[in-house]
Amino acid sequence: MSIQQQTEPIAIALIGNPNTGKSTLFNALSGVRQRTGNYPGVTVEKKHGTFGVSDKAIELIDLPGSYSLAPRSPDEMVAVDVLLGRLPAERKPQAVLVILDAGNLERNLYILSQVLELRLPTVVALNMIDAAAEKGVTVDVPKLSERLGVPVIPTRANHGEGVQELREALANIEQLAPPEATSPFPPAFRDEVAGLQGQLVSRNVSTPRYLVERLLLDTSGYLESELKLGGDDFHQFIADARTRLKESGAPVPAVEAMSRYGWVRETLQGIVERKQVPPPLSDRLDRIMTHPVFGTIIFAVLMMAVFTAVFSDYIAGVPMGWIEGLFEFLGGVVGDNFAEGPFRSLLVDGVIAGVGGVLVFLPQICILFFFIAILEDCGYMARAAYLMDRLFSNVGLSGKSFIPLLSSFACAIPGVMATRVIENRRDRLITMLIAPLMSCSARIPVYVIMIAAFVPQYSFAGGLLNSHTLTFAGMYLVGVVTAVLVALVLKKTILRGATPPFVMELPSYKWPSIQTVLMRVVEKGWAFIYRAGTLIFASSVLVWAAAYYPHNEAIVAPEIERLAAVETELEQATDETKVAALEEEQAELQNHIDGALLRDSYLGRAGHWIEPAVRPLGWDWRIGCATIASFPAREVIIGTLGVIFDMGGDDEDTAPLQEKLQTATWDGTDKPLFNLPVALSVMVFFALCAQCAATLAAIKRETNSWRWPIFTFFYMTALAYIGAFIIYRIASFFTTT
Amino acid sequence: MIPLDLLPIGQSAEIAEVLGEQNDVKRLAEMGMRCGAVVQVVQQGSPCIVRVDGCTLCFRECAHLQVFVQPAATFA
Repeated sequence: MSIQQQTEPIAIALIGNPNTGKSTLFNALSGVRQRTGNYPGVTVEKKHGTFGVSDKAIELIDLPGSYSLAPRSPDEMVAVDVLLGRLPAERKPQAVLVILDAGNLERNLYILSQVLELRLPTVVALNMIDAAAEKGVTVDVPKLSERLGVPVIPTRANHGEGVQELREALANIEQLAPPEATSPFPPAFRDEVAGLQGQLVSRNVSTPRYLVERLLLDTSGYLESELKLGGDDFHQFIADARTRLKESGAPVPAVEAMSRYGWVRETLQGIVERKQVPPPLSDRLDRIMTHPVFGTIIFAVLMMAVFTAVFSDYIAGVPMGWIEGLFEFLGGVVGDNFAEGPFRSLLVDGVIAGVGGVLVFLPQICILFFFIAILEDCGYMARAAYLMDRLFSNVGLSGKSFIPLLSSFACAIPGVMATRVIENRRDRLITMLIAPLMSCSARIPVYVIMIAAFVPQYSFAGGLLNSHTLTFAGMYLVGVVTAVLVALVLKKTILRGATPPFVMELPSYKWPSIQTVLMRVVEKGWAFIYRAGTLIFASSVLVWAAAYYPHNEAIVAPEIERLAAVETELEQATDETKVAALEEEQAELQNHIDGALLRDSYLGRAGHWIEPAVRPLGWDWRIGCATIASFPAREVIIGTLGVIFDMGGDDEDTAPLQEKLQTATWDGTDKPLFNLPVALSVMVFFALCAQCAATLAAIKRETNSWRWPIFTFFYMTALAYIGAFIIYRIASFFTTT
Repeated sequence: MIPLDLLPIGQSAEIAEVLGEQNDVKRLAEMGMRCGAVVQVVQQGSPCIVRVDGCTLCFRECAHLQVFVQPAATFA
């Protein structure tokens, strides 16, 4: 045994079709010892899990669910590269674990036939044998193992059955011989592959045989450019080989499906027995769940229930209150124990207020993902995507965009990451670019304050509807409608292209696994906390610095002097009325000092500088200043407005801030600063603007380019400005005439 | 031979021909919608829901991709 084998665990790749219980099996095998990440440069998520069995350590590499190992894009190339050991970021797996759905072996053996050609020791997990039995399908497992020439272990991953046997089989995988080389392709094709390999050798290119086959089969030319095989003569050689194959009755790329399904038919001959059974419950349920009328009603009720839970004061509100309380407590502790100065201000107003302001949305994000995970795990989400396809196809997208957009209502970052379910690059990009237009939970505080302070309260329909709820819903609608329009424009301009075919598997309905659901929630929640602790932390510190410096106390010297005098008086005062009056004066002075320093800060100066630009929206320098501060993260606006309007940075109690905003006037006049048109203009601006550095960073990561986050920033800022301008003008017209 | 969208709910048919751009046709085949597979419509419309072998797929026909089937009464 080599030193490497002793110190490093056995690397085994896990591969299989989507909806075969692959994630459940991965979780069952590796338990909690998992880590996830991204392959550099592509959107494919890499998941590693480790476990020990019979004194051996095994590292499982979970590859994305796939129907085939035919790379047509960088994402699809990853699985092939991992299996062939061509990826520097990943160890070459010593073996492969292929998971098959026992109820649909015809299709599942397709990818297995590709894996077998890689000639790596292989173990098969024959999963969902119980579900197959319900469909009337029984499989002769020993015979299947004999025909395939690899161990086949029957499993029920969701019940943990067969998992231990699978672990033991994997522990002995090093003793397993690689499968026999069986090419399902006709001799003519194999000859062409040999010829092509000769061509590559003569060009000093060393490529595994599997990729040489793919080179011939990949008519899109992706692999040719990926392997950097330039030269017209080489391209001509491939074209000639394809012509010869077409003439011999083995046209490319159809020959692959023909050959592999032929091999599948032969392999399964006499192994799979099918009994006639009544249509499965899933089909009967689908007649209702996907019905154009009943299905749509069920969908609407479910979505309403999800959103009610997310925005309910009773469900999300309680833990949100705890988090607020915790950060208030932390702020208090730090405030009491540090001397006044930049460091205390940085900790209290920058770090604690900034990070706390974001973490407060954690319960809402966890609740939304809890429901999304349940709907996904029980198989409903694919039906929702089916129902939404009718709507989405009108704007040139497919129903697959629905899930990412739904996630974006909690937070656009996981929404952007969820676009990975969309294979078509153009559709994925458009969905990613419109995801930040969905009103995420960070916009809620802005809507709540503006609506409560400036939207008059009217009731309609016997009290069922009121102007506040309608305005709130209207802001969500502004985002959705704009997203639809943007998608349409993108599809017709810079991302023009034919609508790709829409085909998607609908998994059978099943009870959701609590373990899977909780793991998803923890995973998403942790990702959110991580971002709050890094990017939002950094931007909070920057905003704090811009709002704190140059901190020229000379401009408020009289107030500081008076404050010191008040504090001395307070220490000596005994009369309760006097103490109260002094405390009030102390607070007023402190707020005035804070406000004056902010006006003089770099942020305040920037606010004045941009005032001409924000005037057409009905805003003054203070609103402009708060908006600039909110560009890294829109949550920052509440704290900034609080400081600007001499309230101090405390955002716990919104009522006084509302009152202050209501009584604020234009500098040097009695004219109220805020009114309904201004409030609407602020809300529309926040509904449409890309004020979230973390989302832009997520788009950069997913597209691996700066071009798209920059584009998103500019197009959304322009839309926000135009939207705010239009709503301000329209609302002003109606309120002044 | 009839287009898939004309197949009544519940009736079985064999996929006779899939017309379209060759890579799209191959993608469908990889997912199970290949010539010779037996298909049954669960929900009509665009997209429609079909059962192919042991799995349920939803599929939107378009000008570039069409599936023709041979209904059960005639394909035997």
